[in-house]
Amino acid sequence: MSRRREPQRIEADVCVIGAGAGGAVAAAELAEGGANVVVLEQGPRHEPDRFSARPLEMMARLYRDGGQGTTIGSPPLLLPLGRGIGGTTLINSGTCFRTPPAVLQRWRDEFGLDALADEDALDPCFARVEAALSIAEVTPELAGRNAAVARRGAETLGWSHGFLRRNAKGCIGSGVCAFGCPTSAKQHVGITYVPRAEAAGARVITGADVRHVLVERGEAVGVEARLAGAGGGRIEVRAPQVIVAAGTIHTPLLLARSGLGRDSGELGRNLALHPATGAFALMDEVVDMAKGVPQSFYIDEFASEGIMFEGVAGPPSYVAMALPLTGRRHAAAMASYRNLALFGLMVSDASRGSVRSLGGRAVIRYDLVEEDAARFRTGLARMEQLFRAAGAREVYLPLPRGVTPERARARDLKLMAFHPLGTARADARPESGVVDGDLQLHGVRGVHVADGSVVPSSLGVNPQLTIMALATRLAFGLLDRAVPQTDQTDRAPTGVA
Amino acid sequence: MTGRDPHLHAFVSAAPRIERTGLRVLLALARRPRGARVLHRLAPADQLANGIASMGHFEDPAVAMSLGWDADAVASRGRALRREEGRP
Repeated sequence: MSRRREPQRIEADVCVIGAGAGGAVAAAELAEGGANVVVLEQGPRHEPDRFSARPLEMMARLYRDGGQGTTIGSPPLLLPLGRGIGGTTLINSGTCFRTPPAVLQRWRDEFGLDALADEDALDPCFARVEAALSIAEVTPELAGRNAAVARRGAETLGWSHGFLRRNAKGCIGSGVCAFGCPTSAKQHVGITYVPRAEAAGARVITGADVRHVLVERGEAVGVEARLAGAGGGRIEVRAPQVIVAAGTIHTPLLLARSGLGRDSGELGRNLALHPATGAFALMDEVVDMAKGVPQSFYIDEFASEGIMFEGVAGPPSYVAMALPLTGRRHAAAMASYRNLALFGLMVSDASRGSVRSLGGRAVIRYDLVEEDAARFRTGLARMEQLFRAAGAREVYLPLPRGVTPERARARDLKLMAFHPLGTARADARPESGVVDGDLQLHGVRGVHVADGSVVPSSLGVNPQLTIMALATRLAFGLLDRAVPQTDQTDRAPTGVA
Repeated sequence: MTGRDPHLHAFVSAAPRIERTGLRVLLALARRPRGARVLHRLAPADQLANGIASMGHFEDPAVAMSLGWDADAVASRGRALRREEGRP
């Protein structure tokens, strides 16, 4: 007769699930504040010595599902997510914007989040993260010639633009931020906050697939997980405080299978994604887009319309996959890779999707509403205008052959998304949100959420700084201390949405 | 079907089951003249198959180098810099 092996048991003050943007920040602040912290991370710890600057190889290794997770809907979107220590901060472009004031106003007005969205209260949280991540503006030299093409176009057209601020230190423009920074210049949380947490005594366990958050009589008592690897087995962390930071796609699934967060009916719903696409241009000049910071420049002229342009670039294999051409045209464009420029278009979406579990896997449903399709039509037309103004010989838009931006339907668009948000949204009213203004589950003491899932609306800008600032606020709230003031000489912009 | 290129094989194998199956079918079709003709009539599928297959091709060091991209140099420069400056 076989007996089920007893789980390994650990006691802690706080158990943090996930070592990405939210979890790592909360863990470090709590551990440095004196709490006994255990971090459970599903993925591995990635060694920078194995970062090869080859997109195909690195996507298989650093991304969840090899970066090939897709949504169901019209059109289907590719939704790449990071997996492992650092989470998506390991494979994002490093762009940092504070939450736009208009968005915070909306959170106060529509979701009753007066304290959470208080600009003055969030200010020290942002400042603290900005200092920890060495956030600074990209220089024109480091931005590379791909950014120079977009800048020339924007200046010709008189469009508002600027160089982006990023969490990078000692960057030499390797051009592969999204495939593992080989110089460790990108200050992702895996090399910033996670080491700080460990230095302060936090225990970080990788390969831990959390199955349930444990709650008794309405209060958190811990977490139970399966361990991967040779030893395998189960682990139970007994802790009166649990911070769920498994990411916007997986946090609602974990809460649902734990029987938590479902009272409002909003768990897994309200998914915003910032759908995005990219357009290419064939230039007379050599661009060598992968030499320099891939996402170094932005154009925010149309941000008030929900349309933001941001740089994107990559080595030949990445471009070969992204280029919206086939056959001889694809081959001809790739032969001119050194003369290709690429720029991205991101939409602050009104569309909302959902995530649910099917056979243990996340099924993401997302349909682009007409309002957002119209934003893409406008955005693509303007992107063509931008490249023409920069002197492009040809422009390759992500549309089927013969379809102009004006006539594009949702299903014609070739989209990706990088910023899932909102599936356990914060709302002061228990009937409308999953967590309250302190990011604690409505009706359950001690279970908190600290990732993109709590963000109640589309941001219009890259969300990592928002997620980290909210995690900072949560950590200091649990420590019952004020967030210390930080010198703000290098303050990140707030965006303009 | 992707066995000739270990990185392409690893990439396709990492995909979720449904996407993985779909990609393998598309890549198999793209390698056969009749299959390629069928794909040609389905633009999104053609673009996906073409994109994934050519990703493997352009990851080849000699091909990438001919387009000005030397991944090994980028990676080794990064390693050297991390050692010199004591970066993580």
